[in-house]
Amino acid sequence: MGKEESPQITRRTTRSSSSTTVETTKASDSHPPTINDLVFGEDLISLNDLLSSFPGRRIQILELVRLLGTSNSPMLPLFMYGGASSGKTSIILQMFRHLNCPFVYSSCRSCYSPRILFESVLNQLLLHRKNAANGYSSAKRCERPSDFVNFLREALSNVINNSKGNPRKLETKKLVGQADGNMIYLIFDNLELVREWDKSSTILPFLFNLYDFLKMPEVGLIFVSNTSPDTYYSNMGYMDPIPVHFPDYTEDDLCQIFLRNQANRKLYSSFLDVVLRPFCRITRRVDELSTAFSPLFEKYGEPLSDLGVVPNEETKRRLFSHLQPHIAPSLNEVFKVSSQSSPEAQSNKETKKKSSRRKLGVCEEIDESDFHMSTSAKYLLISAFLASRNPATLDASLFDSMGGFDSRKRKRKPSQKSLEHKETAEQELLMKGPGTFPLERLLAIFQCLTSVAEGSIDEEEQGNEGLGVQGGDGGLMSDVLLQLSSLCNANFIIKGGSCPLEGSTRYRSTLCEDMALKVARSLKFPLSKYLYRR
Amino acid sequence: MGRVNPAEEALNLLRTRLCNPSFVFKPLSDSPDSNYSKLKFLISSSVTEACNNSILLLGPRGSGKIAVLELVLKDLLLEYPDMISVITLSGLLHCDDNSAFKEIARQLCAEHQLLFSKMASFDDNSQFMIAMLRECGLAHKTIIFVLDEFDLFAQGKQRVLYSLLDAMQSVTSQAVVIGVSCRLDADQLLEKRVRSRFSHRKLLFLPPSKEDLQRLLEHILSLPVDSTLPHDYAVEFNSKLQNVLADEKFKQIINTYMNSDATVNHLLKLLFRVVSSMDLGSGFLSLENFKTALSNNQRQPKLECIKDCSILELYILVCMKRLEIKEQNSYNFNSVMKEYKSIRDSFQTSDYYARNVCIRAFEHLLQRELICFTDNRGHNQSVEFRPAKLLILSHELHQGLKSYRSCPAILLKLMDREV
Repeated sequence: MGKEESPQITRRTTRSSSSTTVETTKASDSHPPTINDLVFGEDLISLNDLLSSFPGRRIQILELVRLLGTSNSPMLPLFMYGGASSGKTSIILQMFRHLNCPFVYSSCRSCYSPRILFESVLNQLLLHRKNAANGYSSAKRCERPSDFVNFLREALSNVINNSKGNPRKLETKKLVGQADGNMIYLIFDNLELVREWDKSSTILPFLFNLYDFLKMPEVGLIFVSNTSPDTYYSNMGYMDPIPVHFPDYTEDDLCQIFLRNQANRKLYSSFLDVVLRPFCRITRRVDELSTAFSPLFEKYGEPLSDLGVVPNEETKRRLFSHLQPHIAPSLNEVFKVSSQSSPEAQSNKETKKKSSRRKLGVCEEIDESDFHMSTSAKYLLISAFLASRNPATLDASLFDSMGGFDSRKRKRKPSQKSLEHKETAEQELLMKGPGTFPLERLLAIFQCLTSVAEGSIDEEEQGNEGLGVQGGDGGLMSDVLLQLSSLCNANFIIKGGSCPLEGSTRYRSTLCEDMALKVARSLKFPLSKYLYRR
Repeated sequence: MGRVNPAEEALNLLRTRLCNPSFVFKPLSDSPDSNYSKLKFLISSSVTEACNNSILLLGPRGSGKIAVLELVLKDLLLEYPDMISVITLSGLLHCDDNSAFKEIARQLCAEHQLLFSKMASFDDNSQFMIAMLRECGLAHKTIIFVLDEFDLFAQGKQRVLYSLLDAMQSVTSQAVVIGVSCRLDADQLLEKRVRSRFSHRKLLFLPPSKEDLQRLLEHILSLPVDSTLPHDYAVEFNSKLQNVLADEKFKQIINTYMNSDATVNHLLKLLFRVVSSMDLGSGFLSLENFKTALSNNQRQPKLECIKDCSILELYILVCMKRLEIKEQNSYNFNSVMKEYKSIRDSFQTSDYYARNVCIRAFEHLLQRELICFTDNRGHNQSVEFRPAKLLILSHELHQGLKSYRSCPAILLKLMDREV
């Protein structure tokens, strides 16, 4: 029982791979898998342990326990839904640890296409491990739902017959890792991602109807999703599974959750009294709050010499006043995960801030900008920004052949109509977003800008004539297309629609004005003179 | 071996019954004019008289068409052993002819212990099917084709249907084609050449009447008196159950529940919840179980979503509502931010957060499906510029705000005023 056979793979092997397979099979085959591998496999936990490890989820856990029933009773499909990081996946997995039943878990996030999903479920049921011996291939190749139903039925009946064949002694002490009951459960996690798949109109009804297709009472289906069941309705109907709702945590629950695993609970609870309420006005998700709280808690504990002390009222007030000025800026950074800076950089930052408080203003942040780009990439960014921002008809006047700029139009006193124009133009900018441009225009602007830059460098050096400009230009141009593709991958430039006449693709810059000004300042490039303001 | 709690045993028994459609639909099939008897008569007559036949079973999803069909087939297989083979196809799985014929061939091979080759081509499979039909016809064996989700087979060119029905007519075959569909107009979807070969027999599966419903409830929930359960416990359970079933409030609960969907499967879901919430201490079902099950099943998903929102997200929703009231046809995140800023300027609220925080709150709302983008797959714009719209009605938003714990009063005022 449980003998695994590696399928015969007929494909060409290189000499080296065929010579090394012999040793690896021996090493990995020491432990043939059985159905007990489908069980959670760690120490059993009681219901009270389960309830205490998930504060605030008592009602949902009890409801789930009742709906799942004992391991011998069949059940109708369940649908667990709730917001992100509300504990659905962890609760259902720990629940199976408590029930000690075999289950097959697959997430539609890691199995991102129907084929991978089907093969993952089948691999787990057929107790097939992907290793070097079978070339990391699945047990069965399965792409279509019809094949999946057939294979699944076979695999499930095998598993269930094998489990029935083992007579289970009813002992008072349950062995770790031994499955009991004869039900087997299939869990499909992250179901909301299936709606984005190409074949979602057939796959979703198929998954929901899977219980009817299989017609096996020993199989339980559990779906876990971030969105409620009414977002799955489509033309093709199916029998609704039984919904179990996981509401977001209340503030008391969040207190309890954050207090777990803390070394000094009194200190942390006084910290939570200060920060929890303002942060809960923005978000109540556990993952976002925990990343926001950890640096704040460090700052909170700074004045204390000993972090194990229990704070009294006076200490609490002192700590609160120390933390107070940091709360408001931290609220505005709540979703940012700051990069870990080295201690030397941090001390540098502090000395710098003290000295140059008013001199440089915004400029000092540039030196500590979180990303580094080459000069040509920065010029490309600025060119893309200008191309998106300015209408094409202005290029000729803004960039003349020398790369300089003409004197602007005579400034007239703004009349009422032009003010209104300005407002509507701003509104349009707000609504429509950045414009699209073809590749040629981007390269032309880039060439103009870099020739200016080269020209200014040359003026300083006073060495070259016009030819020098050409040579340097060639150097910057050669890898500009490479730079462009890496900027596209980083989403600084995105593909817009295609030109209706020619069918060539157009691009759009996603840079906001502040960022563009920052980049231009780092290059000492007078961007504001090139910006078109109506 | 310890004594198993009788309540647990009863619970397991009830759950097994609820998950077993054959058990559930048996009492509905007892009368002589039920769909069960009509279907059985039709199929058995075509088996005994060695003729072809076709019929459509129509009815809303969950009214037990497949369950009744399975009951009929089970009984017929007992009555006429070795004279019937059943091939089941589903429109969801096998809607294109390649996979349909492959599946037919596979099932025929499994039935008659022949070797099935996965490499067989479409022509091979169809030839095989026609040959099998002929052989079975000569041997006086009937093949029953069950086509589930029949309306999906009627999409496209209907090649499967046509070849099947054509084979039945041209070859000396004994075959019965049973189509099962939720669309009551499934036969109108057929092409002319297919429809001419299809008999127009239809069996409608209607929702059960009130008396049938009562009988069904008793049949499912009553414990058997002479089984492994203790006798006294089963008798007391049944009498308590009768009390509950006769209660006026219980009838109201059932009527409210079945108003939305009157099929038997819908009722089974309610009963499953009721049975799972049975109090294992006392071991009896009470009216409370039914009440909690009903309230658990009546969900208002948008209100639940609003309760989960944070205050900043509520601000964004109210801003979008105000933009809609001002009759701006399309607005995007930037316009929402402008409105948010104007609210802050005029009302001096303390909840003013930076743009990046608001954009993440906007994305949370997108994930919760309270708002969505109006352009489909317009991924060539960033989040701030894509036009968005609300997916929640104004009265739902209003109700949600009112029932929100610690909702800022300013939001309710903003919703009420037309300014």
